[in-house]
Amino acid sequence: MTPTLLLPLGLAALGAVLVPLVLHLARRTEQRPTDFAALRWLRQKPRPRHRPKFDELLLLAARSLLLALVAVFLAGPALLNTQDATPVIAFAPGIDPATVARDAKARAIWLAPGFRPIDTPAPHYAVPIGSLVRQLDTQTAATAPLTLVVPATLDGADAERPRVSHHVRWHIVPGAVAASKPTPSPLRLALRTDTAHATGARYIRAAAAALELPIDSGDPAHAVPKTTTALIWLAGGPLPAAVTRWIEQGGTALVASDTVVEAGATFPTWHDETGRPLVEARAQGKGRVARLLQPLGPMAMPALVEPAFPKALAELLAPAPPPTRVEASAYRPLPGGLPPTSQSRDLRAWFALAISVAWLVERWLATRAKRAIAP
Amino acid sequence: MPETLIPADVRHRLKGLSLIARRAVGDRGIGLHASHSRGTGLEFAQYRPYEFGDEPRQIDWKLYARSDRFFVREAERESPVALWILLDASASMAQADARRAGFSRLDAGKGLVAALAELALAQGDRFAFAALRDTGLALTRPASGTRHRDRLHLDLHGLAAAGAFPGEAGLAPLWERIGQRDLVVIVSDWFDPACLDLARRLSAAGREVLGIQILTIGERDFDYDGGYRFRDPETGEEVLGDGAALRAEYLGRFGAAQASLHAALDAAGVRHAELVLDQPLDTPLQRLLGRTGNRAGGE
Repeated sequence: MTPTLLLPLGLAALGAVLVPLVLHLARRTEQRPTDFAALRWLRQKPRPRHRPKFDELLLLAARSLLLALVAVFLAGPALLNTQDATPVIAFAPGIDPATVARDAKARAIWLAPGFRPIDTPAPHYAVPIGSLVRQLDTQTAATAPLTLVVPATLDGADAERPRVSHHVRWHIVPGAVAASKPTPSPLRLALRTDTAHATGARYIRAAAAALELPIDSGDPAHAVPKTTTALIWLAGGPLPAAVTRWIEQGGTALVASDTVVEAGATFPTWHDETGRPLVEARAQGKGRVARLLQPLGPMAMPALVEPAFPKALAELLAPAPPPTRVEASAYRPLPGGLPPTSQSRDLRAWFALAISVAWLVERWLATRAKRAIAP
Repeated sequence: MPETLIPADVRHRLKGLSLIARRAVGDRGIGLHASHSRGTGLEFAQYRPYEFGDEPRQIDWKLYARSDRFFVREAERESPVALWILLDASASMAQADARRAGFSRLDAGKGLVAALAELALAQGDRFAFAALRDTGLALTRPASGTRHRDRLHLDLHGLAAAGAFPGEAGLAPLWERIGQRDLVVIVSDWFDPACLDLARRLSAAGREVLGIQILTIGERDFDYDGGYRFRDPETGEEVLGDGAALRAEYLGRFGAAQASLHAALDAAGVRHAELVLDQPLDTPLQRLLGRTGNRAGGE
């Protein structure tokens, strides 16, 4: 643990200590004029003794201390390297810790959000293993050995093998982690179209028929049914407030190229064979808005008439969840991650407490009844 | 300045004191300074009815012719000794202590002058007063009587310390007036060498001189602490310094200066005594004029 200052420039406030010093010194420097007839026997000292003298040393000390504390407070005191170097052993949920031999001194935790100790109940929900491994790697001191106990089959992995800075012991025990239940939501389509987009709407209806999905068609004035998961909005002009609200509550909407939607950072989600983007998408609230970049017609979008169009439309409106299950031996973390950032503990709260105590002491010293009248 | 020049307790203690000019003793005869040459004096004092035993030649015959009664013409009785009280009124006398700011060295000197005048009045000696300063001496002639004393008090009340000690030319009127056998008391701080010079020359010229030195508490103890700007009231010189730092050296040098002053006064035959402002006013009078003082001859 190393004490440090996060903003050393704040120490410039230490200069304020000069103020009480001057206040306690100034009265000494003035010379009282005095008549003195026997002056001829007074000899001027070549260097008049001018040892600085301070009044009320205790009060001066309290004031100086107060200002020094304030200066250090402004400089942002902190303690560096506050992590301990005790070994860490993390168990993926679903493993009985009693079955695994482990170092008694090691800190045993669940490989779950919060990294709770092993003596708390095991989490029974699916956890993003890959993400947690990376987080644990960055939160553990660089010198602490890290052991991860995982079942043979992992759920919650992502597409990238975690890269870690520690030398991780990847201990695989038989068993499987609690699997996340895939909840394929049935695609319930709704189509709202005005007369200008009637041609394009035919392609959408055809695709829905090809996917054997019911579709709730209507003009833009029709309300969107509650069960709808995807809305295809083929109408010019801005989206009505009701539709925007529906999107923000978790709906997915595909809007026509001439529909006015809120501006924002978008990313292309569908390209044609030449690499030209056909649809760009953007998150809005909990939902998603995808916007066609071309008019909905075979001239501008040849993909409309291709046999893969219905599947592409379904993929666009309800993307399949990424695969998360992996063999543990194939998901062993790779070396080469960024080393953990040094953790620091902010000490400003303690300094604020010390400042208030010093202030109270200073006030008590300055206002007590016994204090002598300043000369 | 105090309302009364002489505090009551000091006035009470004055009764034990007597002015005796040692050089005049035995010279002319009767009384403390005894000769009063009745009838032969120069200053007319009064007529009084003839009494049996008066010399007939003292009768004023012209008055007898006018009034048909015998009257005797009396001259003012004159003591052969006059007391000259010289009070230094230079600016240095205005110094007072911070401890008792209203009581300056000059105030103490005025008290001493008044007390000496009381003594002279009580024993019938003539007394005269002169304030020594370079702007004029403020002389009074030697005389006796309560009116003269009151005039002296009036002079004292109007006196303020200013200027420097008078030079030789300024002191010339004194030489014209102080008689051969007169008693001279110089009340001063004795810091100015001219003062010592005056005493020395008066003494050498046959006058009996008594010296009273008035010191402030600060001069004796140098009880200054902290930063001060010391200023000489007469020359205007200034010394900056810390009281505690200057103290040891000042006390040493001042003590040496005092010792040499005392030696010079002793050598000149000047009896002297010292009054510090925290002492009773009659301290130097007791030393010089008290029973022991008169016998032992001062310090």
